[in-house]
Order: sequence, then structure tokens, then C-alpha cells
Amino acid sequence: MSSDVKSRPATPMLREILEQPTLLGGIRSTPLPVRLGLAVFALGFLVVNVAIGVLVVSGRLDGHWYDFRDLGNATAALRSWLDDRDLGPWLSYWVTALIGGVGILSFVGGVLLIGTWVERRLLAKFQIRRGPNRVGPFGLLQPLADALKLIQKEVLIPIGADRKLFFLPPILIFIPAMLGWGPVPWAPNMAYLDVNVGLLYVVAISSLAVLAIFIAGWSSNNHYALLGAMRTVAMMVSYEIPVSLSLLSVVLFTGSLQLSEIVAWQSTHNTWLAMILPFSLFTFFFSSTAEINRTPNDIAEAESEIVAGFHTEYSGMKAGLFLAVELGNALLVGALVSTFFLGGYSLFGLEEWIPPYLILFAKISAVYFLFVWLRGTLPRFRLDQLMGYAWKFLIPLSIAFVGISAVEASIFARVDAPGLIVLGAIGIVNVVLTFVLVRAWARVVGYEVPRGEDTRPTLTTAVGGLRAAQRLRVTP
Amino acid sequence: MTAANEPYILNIGPQHPSTHGVFRLRVAMDGETIVDMDMIVGYLHRSMEKLAEERTYTQNIPFTDRADYLAAMSGNLGLCIAAERLTGVEVPERAQYLRVIFAELQRIASHAMANGTLVSDAGAWQTPLLYMFREREKILDLFEMTCGARLTTNYMRIGGVAFEPPAEFWPALRELVDELPDRIDEYSQLLIDNEIFLARTRGIGVISAEDAINGSLTGPALRGSGVPWDLRKAEPYDVYDRLDFEIPVGRGGDVYDRFMVRFEETKQSTRIIKQAIEQIPDGPHKTQIPLALRPEPGEVYGRIESPRGELGFYLVSDGSPAPYRFHIRAPSFINLSLLRQLAVGSTLPDAVVTLGSIDIVVGEIDR
Amino acid sequence: MESTGIIVAFWVLAAVTVAGALGVIVSRDLLHAIFFLILSFLGMAGLFITLSADFIAVAQVLIYAGAISVLLVFAVMLTPLVSRDNGNSLYVAPGALAGLGLAALVVFVAVDTEWAQLSGDALAARSFPDTVATIGDLLLGRYVLAFEVASILLLFALLGAIVLVHERRADAAAGAADTPANREEAA
Repeated sequence: MSSDVKSRPATPMLREILEQPTLLGGIRSTPLPVRLGLAVFALGFLVVNVAIGVLVVSGRLDGHWYDFRDLGNATAALRSWLDDRDLGPWLSYWVTALIGGVGILSFVGGVLLIGTWVERRLLAKFQIRRGPNRVGPFGLLQPLADALKLIQKEVLIPIGADRKLFFLPPILIFIPAMLGWGPVPWAPNMAYLDVNVGLLYVVAISSLAVLAIFIAGWSSNNHYALLGAMRTVAMMVSYEIPVSLSLLSVVLFTGSLQLSEIVAWQSTHNTWLAMILPFSLFTFFFSSTAEINRTPNDIAEAESEIVAGFHTEYSGMKAGLFLAVELGNALLVGALVSTFFLGGYSLFGLEEWIPPYLILFAKISAVYFLFVWLRGTLPRFRLDQLMGYAWKFLIPLSIAFVGISAVEASIFARVDAPGLIVLGAIGIVNVVLTFVLVRAWARVVGYEVPRGEDTRPTLTTAVGGLRAAQRLRVTP
Repeated sequence: MTAANEPYILNIGPQHPSTHGVFRLRVAMDGETIVDMDMIVGYLHRSMEKLAEERTYTQNIPFTDRADYLAAMSGNLGLCIAAERLTGVEVPERAQYLRVIFAELQRIASHAMANGTLVSDAGAWQTPLLYMFREREKILDLFEMTCGARLTTNYMRIGGVAFEPPAEFWPALRELVDELPDRIDEYSQLLIDNEIFLARTRGIGVISAEDAINGSLTGPALRGSGVPWDLRKAEPYDVYDRLDFEIPVGRGGDVYDRFMVRFEETKQSTRIIKQAIEQIPDGPHKTQIPLALRPEPGEVYGRIESPRGELGFYLVSDGSPAPYRFHIRAPSFINLSLLRQLAVGSTLPDAVVTLGSIDIVVGEIDR
Repeated sequence: MESTGIIVAFWVLAAVTVAGALGVIVSRDLLHAIFFLILSFLGMAGLFITLSADFIAVAQVLIYAGAISVLLVFAVMLTPLVSRDNGNSLYVAPGALAGLGLAALVVFVAVDTEWAQLSGDALAARSFPDTVATIGDLLLGRYVLAFEVASILLLFALLGAIVLVHERRADAAAGAADTPANREEAA
């Protein structure tokens, strides 16, 4: 009887959950003709891929408009074709600008839709739940359903809100989130806005988001919103400095502010800046989580303290826009981390084979997964802890590392040895220096790693009042 | 934002993610610092104590489910202990063991909830809460098997328990008790030495042993401050005196200590349940009592150690089937009284975590 | 300035900049004024872009729109009478005078300068150097002294601000007792 009990889920609800379709179960329950059809499709897919591989090896693709490995070739071909027709330079300019803009917008929009689903499913996996699985196959249409619901909702404007300003932030906050994608290179010829001050451009654009957040918090006429806005502003002002300092090291090594140059430098030296500048990578990543309100630094919308922070009063699709931007920012940070530190679209020569934009997308997804993982694992810092961390820890150490990387970059420029060896040596030195300096500085600041053992409870069988308490305090 | 001439008033609650129910805090803030705080209770007041005066003692048991709705079994037990003391009804031995098992299961479930929400208050995005819900869910399943309800169990009776657990209860219980230590280790990996969690909870909301006693705190809030006081040891009811267990006592009295005391109590409860399963004798599960129990005129105060502290029932009988006066000493209410002292001068996030560590249930506060 | 696109962009950006600046003066709400100021800054950045001054444009956004405006917002928020509107002040006449003087100066300089006007082939033949590299070279080469003096000046300003607002321990203890509740009791 006991085995029977074990196999039977205890409650109807649990039974229902266990009977949900799974991927493997879905395959098993598919009828045979469909399975055969799928197998034929898979085979065909494989054959096509091999054919493409042969085509790539033969070099017949290189640089033609149909070279799908770099969609920039197609637009370049289109542009020169339009120029040949002699319709005026403005036409080819406008056409390519539109193609690029629409491309970026539709990419980001699509990823945002999928991204909410991915985030919720991943979080559910971390939390031993199943996540959205009702709307559409595997719940894939859930984001669409959510968006529809949000659009239908009534738009509430609180009494006493600054009506004109209240209207602006959901729009304003979208602008930097979209503009930030401009200079990211997806392939050698596939950067929409490859300006020579790309890095500065990214930093400048990201600093504009703070204004939208502040307007949102101020115009809502809500104390939670204002607290959230003040927290955001304080954090952004503090964490912009470590971000800039960490990127300064990148610039020192690559010698350029242009994002495509930074990727090209990493590609030609067959290295990732993450290996050379581990501390800069950490600083950039951590500070970015603070700037875009992700766990563990999501204090601006800490729901257990200030409900939803600066967007407490927003309802319907306005709130939806804030949430979408939050996700979009996480992806943008993923793109920037990949570009600055993880080699961008390059992957040690593999970018000749795999379309580089897919490599970059894989890297973005990896960083994004890290964000979700952190969100599913860590508690949140307190505002004063975060500010102290920025000012007492990240900024002094970042300044030290800027100095160190300046020395190293000049050594690298002068030493006449194979680049990989020098860079490897520099990387090892930097890893060691990171450990040493972080520990030393922590000691200087007076920080001690908190240990739980010191306050593990004492076990006792004797009960009593204050005297017993004092006795207990003495004996251990 | 300056509060120098206009205090910044923040209304936390009655609807707020971290007030654990409809409880309201009116906080005056200077930036992030709390300079003053009012605690406003009563949103869940259902006049339980007055209603109880019109019902018989047995009819009053469902009220105790709805007072501390996260520890219904403990509420049942408290009223039954007090009523038995008033009427002198004997409880069969098997029923006493069953009561201990269910009360300890309830303690595990309640502590899981308390610790999970505390970590959520500290900002973890619900992951620890849902992990703890996994065990709580199994315990509630056990309750459902036994008495058909998961939350408002209404299981204990004056002179025993309502039902004998079904046959599939015992293997499921053994399985749960066997796997609980592993699960608890899993949580400790996730939380106990988590640097962020330690930074958020160590040294926050410190209650000294003297303050705890002066504030008549009980339960994990008192033991977290280092006072070894537990009614299961100090004034054993049912069969607690035959079971071997220890009471965990914190050292610093901060949020982390209260968290850890609850954590350790979960382990000890597992120990108690294991022993109870071994020792439980056969026999009847309740004494037959008359439908309208008419105790002698008199008064009695019966108390047990509920997950939140000393849960007391003060009953006055005038010889009629209904109590003349029915009063609940709710541990949440009395533990909460210290919050203002802890929160004023700290920051908003600290106050939220401190409130979470006191572990209130608003049903019990407002009654 | 041959291309129509640039000309349209110039007029739009100029309109935005001027409208923003006017908004600062006209708006009655201090915070609205700050947001108009930011609009003006952004328009200015756009104007720099039409002049191919990429570094200056980005610096304009980064420093003025991103940082200075946040400072202004903080300053306004920390002012006790935030809700008071941008009312009349004593300085209308001197302010107007100073503004007119500045405007006259700029117009005078603009009219008086011999502008190198490039158009057509001359413009096409002219290569625009990488302004970042040029500015970097100049800052750390020819104007290094001014650069360093400026940074030391800023450092001292920072330190001075800290010294000014830093509470001494005795003051801090006195300040802690000075909560609104206590003050109400005293009053």
C-alpha cells in the first residue's frame, strides 16, 4: 500500500501540475506521420546546412550581397546600386537608414516579446515552478496576451499629478533604450551608427534615462514614486563614474572609442578583454545592474520597500513600457558587455563560419541568462550599502586599475614580442593584482566578510529568564 | 528632499507587499531614515472574542483557525488545552502524540513561511519563499489527508483530536521527515552564508535580552535575543516532557538571529516528530464529551508555544455552555509592540526586514 | 551647408534650442524650467553634430544633459521651498541687462569674425579629422597646464563642499536630537 501512496500525487492540484505537457512527453505522444515528417524536415535542414558550409568554404560568398554572414553587405550593395542610378545621395542615405532603423527596432521588439517569456520561464525553473505554459505552445504567446491586457486597461492619472510631465516618461525612457543599440556592431559591416565616439555615445545616451525616471517619480505625486526616483538618481550619478572608469581601461588597450574598432582589436589579437581586464568587467557588469535596476541592485523599484518605485502610479501599457524598457536595458547591457569585454561578434575565427550576429546574440543571451540567474538567487542590497560600495570601493579601485592598465597598454605598445604572449602575461598579472588589490583595499576600508557562524544559535535544554540568558552568553 | 521642515509621510499599507497582511505603518521619514512611526492595526478585526461568548467551547475552535491562519493547528491546540484545564477532560495518550505531531508540522510550515517572506522582504525575488513553500505544501497535503482542510484545519477537539489520520498518512509523514534535513541543508547553502543576506540582516533590528523581556516578547523573537524560554520545556503540555529536543537560542538578538532560531527550530521539530512517530501508542483518539460542555464557574489561562510565541487563552466560565469571557493572548500583537523602538532611527529597508523577522500574522493581531 | 538635410536639421535644432531656452524663462515651475533647459542642451548637442563636432556633441549630452541637469534637480529637491513657483525676483533688471550685453557681444564677435566659408568642391575636399584624437592631443599636450589647473580647481571645489557640509561629531550628536517630533514638542 505504501508504494501506491508514494506514486499517487497527494492533491488534485499537484496531479494537474504533473499532468502538464512536457517536451519529451509531447514528442512521445505525437502521431507517427508527424514524427516522420519532422525527421524529414530535420534531415533537409541538415543537408541545407552542409551545402551552406560547402559554399562558405569555397569562398564564393565573400562580399557579395547574398553573403548572409554579414547583412551589411546587402545594404552596401543596395546603396551602391541606388548611387549608380544617380537619384541623389539623400535617397540611398534615407533607404539604408530606414532599413537599419527598422531592423534594430524589430529585432529589439521581437526579443522583448520573447524575453519576457524566457525570463519568466527561467525564473520558474529556478523556483521549482513551471512558469507560463497555458497561452499558445509552451506558453509562448503569454507576452502577447499580457500586452493585450495592458493595452486594454484604463489609464489612470492620479489627482495632483503633473499631467503634462506624467505623460512623458514612458516615451522618454524608451528613447535611450533604443538609441543605445545604434553603435553596437553585429558584424564587420553591420553597425548602424558606427560613430568614432561610439563608447562615449553609449555612456551619454544611457545617462539620459535618469531624467525620464526622475520625471516619472516627480510627476506622479506619490511618495513611493519620489523615493524611488531619488534612489535611482542617486545610484545613477554614483555608478556612472565606475562605468566610465572601467570603460577607460578598454579604451586604453584598444586605442579607440569606436565600438567596431574595439571588437576588431579583440578579434585581431585573438583575445577577450575580459581576460585582460577582469576587474573592469566586474565593475561594468555590477554598475550596470545598478543602473538598470536589476537584482541585486534593484533598490529603485524594491517591491518589498517602495512597491514599484518610480512607476508606482503608472497603469496599463505605460507600466508595460517601463517593464519592457527594463528588459530591453538588460539586453542592451548584455550587448555592451559582449562588445567591450567578450569579443563582440567575433569568436576566435569562428565568425567566418557562423554568422557573426548570431554569435553576438548568443553572447547577449548568455549575459542575460546571468541577469536572470542573479535575480533568481540573490537578495537585494540596501541603498547606503550600494552607495558606499560605489564610492569607497569601486571608484578608488577603478582609478587604480585605470593607472595599471595605462602602464600595461604602453608596455604592450612598446614591447616587440608576439601579442598573445604579452597579453597573456598582462592578463595573469591583472588577475593576481585584482585579487591582491581587492583584498588589500577591503582591509584598508575596514570591511570584513560577514560570517554566519558567529551567530549560529546555541542549543540548550535548560530554560530560564534573564539569568539563564546571561549564563548562556558566558558559557559559549 | 528635505524633511527639516516638512516630515515626509509614507503610508506603508494596508495594502503593501511587505506588511504581511492588512497592517499599516505610518512612517515619517527624513530621506531614507525613519524619524517616527505609527502602527495602525484593526483592518482585520472580526470581533472574534465577543462572538466567542455566544458559542460553545467546541464551536469556538474554528475561530482559532482564523486568528493565526498560518498556524491553525497551534491555535486549535491552545484553545483545547485551556478548555481541558477548565473542564478537567482527560486526553488519551494517542491523541496527545497526534497533537504534538500536528503542532510540530504546523511549526515547520509556519517557520518556512516566516523565513521565506523574510528573505523576500530582504529582496530575493521569491526564490527562497517558493523553496520553502515546497515543504509547506507537503505538510498542508498531510493536513488535507487528515482533516480535509489545508489552512483552516479545525482538527483538535477538547479531549483529543477530531479524526484518526488515514492509513496513507504515516508513510507520507515518514518520507517527509526523512527528506526534511536534506531540504534544510539546501536552504542553508542558499541563504545562511549568503554575503548579501548577512549584510542585510546582521546587526539590524537588535533587541537586547532585557528589552525582549521588558517588552514581554515570546517565541523566536525572545529566543533570538538569547533568552532560553520555551513553554514546551518550561511548562510541558501534552507529551513534550517525554520527547528529547533542544531549544535554539540566538546570541545577538538581530534579524539574522531570529531567522536562524526559526531555522534551527525546524530541525528540532523534525526531531520531535521522528520520536513521536516511534513512540505513538494505539488507542482511542479522543474522549467522548457532552455536546454542550458545562464547566464549573471559574477562570483559567491555558498557554502553549505557538510558532510565534506564547499563545494564551483566558477563559471565564459562568457555568453555561458558552464562555463568559474569551480572550486570546496573541503573540504577534505583543511582539509587534517593539517594532517602533526598533524602526525609529533606522532606514526603511531595515524596518521592513525587522518587521519580517518579527513574523506577524494580522489575523491574530486584529482577531 | 549644401545639403537640404543639414539645413532642415539646423533650423529644427535651432528652434528646439531657442524654444527650450525661452521655456526656461517663461515657465513658472522650477522643475519645468530645468526640463526645458535639458531640451535646450540636447538641441545644442544636435547643432554640434551638424558641425561634425562629434566629441563636443557627445560631451554636451553626457555632461550637460546627463550630469549637470541631475545636479540641478538635486539642488531643487534639496531646496526647502520646492513647491514655490519660479516667481519674480529682484534681479530682473540686472539679469536682463547682463543677458543683453552677452547677446550683443556674441553678435559683435560673430559679425566681426572672418569666417572661412567652404562650399562645393572645397568642402568636399576638406577632410574632417577625428576630433577626439585632436582634442586629446591638445589637452594632454599644448594645454596640459590649463587642464591640470582645472582638475585641481575641481578637486578643491569638491573638498571644499565636503568640508562645508561635514558635521563635526558634537554637532552630529546635537542634530540627532533635533528631530521634527522633538521640535514640535518644543514649539
